[in-house]
Amino acid sequence: MKGIPTVLITVSPEVSGQMRPPRALYPKGFKIGNSLGRPGMRDLQKQVLRDALGLLTQDTRPGAAVTIEYPDYGEQYEPPRVKTLS
Amino acid sequence: MTISRKCVPFTPFDGELSKSTIAIVTAGGVHLKDQEGFNIADELGDLTYREIPPDVDSSQLMVTHHHYDHADADEDINVVFPIDVLRELESEGFIGGIAKKHIGYMGYTMQLKAMYEGTAREIANEIDRGSRADAVVLTGG
Repeated sequence: MKGIPTVLITVSPEVSGQMRPPRALYPKGFKIGNSLGRPGMRDLQKQVLRDALGLLTQDTRPGAAVTIEYPDYGEQYEPPRVKTLS
Repeated sequence: MTISRKCVPFTPFDGELSKSTIAIVTAGGVHLKDQEGFNIADELGDLTYREIPPDVDSSQLMVTHHHYDHADADEDINVVFPIDVLRELESEGFIGGIAKKHIGYMGYTMQLKAMYEGTAREIANEIDRGSRADAVVLTGG
């Protein structure tokens, strides 16, 4: 059986959660288009990527995202919600 | 074959990051400037993908995607496609290496079945056969 270990960095954890990713990191409050952080913030980008890759070696719960806060990111944003039919 | 939506396709990672090769697959519409852009005129979306080489100059990458604001990615592609960040982690010894192939596609589609059963499998095969990746980082827009 083949398979490739993956880790997702998502800024829309509720939306991504519908597909139940095997491993996922939600950098709390990052806006869409800023998966790794803001432009030029290399230290922050490196930390986010280190944390995401680190999930490969941890006992995470498949299908659920791990939320980590990064105060250096600055202003935070509400993630998009899943639209439900009424 | 039908894949259950209730099944999490979890593949264990048994290696050490410092000895592992990592690939990036992004749904953020990233591609080389000299590659054909994604078809944003089609309301159904674009099911194609682009291969991105490991030695790419990040200044030669761009985004074609009209379902998120990619102004920040236009300024620094690493916010959605962290190839330079990955290189720094390699130079620091945090990871073992950069995979031989990375993938960009446009993660907006109204053709979910074709994306899930077609494009996604093609991308997985590209990574499995051509990239020598031990693990993959997935990003969206």
